[in-house]
Amino acid sequence: MTAVTSERVTAGAQRSGRGRTVDGYAGFGIMVRFILRRNWLRILIWTIVLAGLVVVVVQSQRVTFPTQADRDAYASIANTPSVAALTGLPYAASTIGGILNIKIWMTLAVSLAFAVIFLVTRNGRAEEEAGRTELLRGGVLGQHAYSLADWAVNAGFTVVVGILCALGAISQGLPVNGALTMGASLMGVGLVFVGVAAVAGQLAQTGRGANTLSVVVLGVAYLVRAAADLQAHGDNPSGLSWLSPIGWGQQMRSYGENLWWPLALSVGTTVVLGAIALLLERGRDVGEGILPDRSGPRHAAALTMTPIGLALRLQRGSIIGWTIGVLIGALFYGSVATAMANLLDGNSAVAQAFSGGSKDLVAGLLGFFAMTNALLISAFALQSADTVRADEANGRAELEWSRAISRTGWALSRLIVPAGVSFLLLLLSGYLLGASFGASVGDPGQAGRFAMASLAYWPSTLLIIAFVMFCAAWLPRAASAVTWSVFGVLVLVSMFGDLLGAPDWIIKNTPYTAVPRVGQDFSAVPLIVIGALALVFAILGLRRLRVRDMISA
Amino acid sequence: MTEQLAVDVRGLEKHFGSVHALNGLDLRVATGSVAGFLGPNGSGKSTTIRILLGLLRADGGSATLLGGDPWRDAVELHRRVAYVAGDVTLWPNLTGGQAIDILSALRRDVDRTRIEKYLQLFELDPTKKARSYSKGNRQKVALVAAFASRAELLILDEPTNGLDPLMEGVFTDCVNEAKGEGRSVLLSSHIFAEVEKLCDTVTIIRDGRTVESGTLTELRHLQRSTITVTIDGDPAALSKVDGVYGLTADGPRVSFGVDENALPGVMRALAPLSPRGLISSPPSLEELFLRHYGLHADDAEPTAKAASR
Repeated sequence: MTAVTSERVTAGAQRSGRGRTVDGYAGFGIMVRFILRRNWLRILIWTIVLAGLVVVVVQSQRVTFPTQADRDAYASIANTPSVAALTGLPYAASTIGGILNIKIWMTLAVSLAFAVIFLVTRNGRAEEEAGRTELLRGGVLGQHAYSLADWAVNAGFTVVVGILCALGAISQGLPVNGALTMGASLMGVGLVFVGVAAVAGQLAQTGRGANTLSVVVLGVAYLVRAAADLQAHGDNPSGLSWLSPIGWGQQMRSYGENLWWPLALSVGTTVVLGAIALLLERGRDVGEGILPDRSGPRHAAALTMTPIGLALRLQRGSIIGWTIGVLIGALFYGSVATAMANLLDGNSAVAQAFSGGSKDLVAGLLGFFAMTNALLISAFALQSADTVRADEANGRAELEWSRAISRTGWALSRLIVPAGVSFLLLLLSGYLLGASFGASVGDPGQAGRFAMASLAYWPSTLLIIAFVMFCAAWLPRAASAVTWSVFGVLVLVSMFGDLLGAPDWIIKNTPYTAVPRVGQDFSAVPLIVIGALALVFAILGLRRLRVRDMISA
Repeated sequence: MTEQLAVDVRGLEKHFGSVHALNGLDLRVATGSVAGFLGPNGSGKSTTIRILLGLLRADGGSATLLGGDPWRDAVELHRRVAYVAGDVTLWPNLTGGQAIDILSALRRDVDRTRIEKYLQLFELDPTKKARSYSKGNRQKVALVAAFASRAELLILDEPTNGLDPLMEGVFTDCVNEAKGEGRSVLLSSHIFAEVEKLCDTVTIIRDGRTVESGTLTELRHLQRSTITVTIDGDPAALSKVDGVYGLTADGPRVSFGVDENALPGVMRALAPLSPRGLISSPPSLEELFLRHYGLHADDAEPTAKAASR
């Protein structure tokens, strides 16, 4: 391999010795193989998951909507603002292909966009930031070879995903024309974001900055098409849709009219973006971006200089992100609960499992949503509390511990942040869940009721936070693995325990299922028990942290 | 500040599992003095410093910091101590200026005038994100925070790691200034010139044990100086004099090692040979240090000489 490589590089350099432009691409083939070698597993997993989802969803929808009558019934109620805003207009909802589009197309398109954004940055700007590109460019490698190889691999990846998604649908007996259009529409979205990430990688100076820039573009594209779909005339979105690359994919109307010409827009835009990225790269130095790395403030704000303020400042981005996600989720769940309950057959095993045996299916579903929401917020709390261990491992705790702050005080400041933020998130998301459900049934009183029901999960969240502290103090090296595994099992048992056939006494007694749900009789006993457990774990953890040696990674 | 010793460590022991990091280490820093702390990688310097900071707990012996117990009174003591690690880890998304403020605030000791002064001395741009700082610049952040503080004791663990020679000069000035302000400094270092220039006392450790400590003069006292001199007559006569070692001659120019206490006798023996251009070099710190390591430690004089050339 090495011998072949060096021969090729030399040959490439000699062949292209005449002009800078040709020279710029020397070593392209080697870089393609290099990138594939470093990313094949990632690419393979993404491909299998995305294409596999198509197959799985077709099968599950065949079970959910076995007869044409079921599909027609679904089509008559599918066109709600929530569906339009989140997954697009249900223009062919009476066919399995159309239902497939409603259920999974948007997820696939956005996931594929995320995948290429991260992959392009990982092999582009992030490598450059780490200084490894400099190492390669110091050898015989054209100016554009590495970047172009990166974009080419990712473009190839979207083509493969598009083809496999189409094949997956065809294998499940969906119309060939519709399936191919669907595959192509996904590919089109993916390609545009390869171009977006390519340009972002030239503009930003850090991998983080490049990802942020691309994700912002993706977010705007998603919101623009959501607005277009909400302003629909029947099942045709408004003209705004043409301003969004995701809209172009939707406009191909797979399993409906099957239009191919919007694909030209996607491909054309990709080529233009690629050309812009090349021009930008031609004019800049290795390691430099076009956008300067923004300078920050000269001094810390008064709040940042307090331990809790510092913890808040360091987690600012993550807190904002989780808050937006959780609140949008709550609004969505609340607004679709009634529609979902109407769809589900109250006696089916699935319905029973999700509603926790509640007689009132809507209340049962809402209770399930509130618990899911609490689990989501606990995941945030876990991640936030985990900085107690992460900062000790990466050496930043040493910086703080050698100042005038006790370890207990330091750890508490790191635990109060997730505790406080999760309290607010539970309250707000419960309120929004209730408010959006209340709006759909015309009962504004639901907001307060759900806010309280959601807050009932606060002790459970505190228990997770305290457990993180306990593990960080007693099992520092294994702490992250242990806490995330335990939490993962809790999520599985709490949400799908029935479907997985876990014993009843376990299902009913996790820190999440033991909490009384909306619509059930309220009892404070479980909350007190869970809260007391949290206190014990926290005290044991804090005491241990105080007396043990600092243990860095 | 009534304590005579800012740092008083006696017979300190620490083990990690079966590995003995410290085996009876002694270290003293007199109040108001600069103490050098020398030892190769892995000899226990950072472990000692982490015990002094209450980050690790000693398994035996005693350690006193500014008259207090570094483990029990950690928080109180840290108000009076400033620490610079050899490899500073900062918060990547905060600027250097923010990090300095936070580190100072944790000691409740934010003096913007002093911070500004040291920022300028070290030529550090405080508006850059720590992510974009080089190793040397991260080091400067911790140094600015330490020097700008009014801590009585500065604990510096290989602080000039990654600094360029100009900045090392600035660092030297800052340490002297700190000493002038009456502060005590514990300076762990690999750079002999730096220690020789700055330190009043030196402690040399090996394998977690103190092998040599005292002022540089004291350390040199029992060591051999090197004398180079031009003489008339037969240099062979000199080799018979007590206390002369490794005599070599290059024409009339001879050089030899001589024990400190044999010097009067050697001088008497030299006088009749009409000595000219006499140069006497005391052992450098590097030679003192190397005596305790590698081949010197095994007292293999000739081989060692060959190796050091």
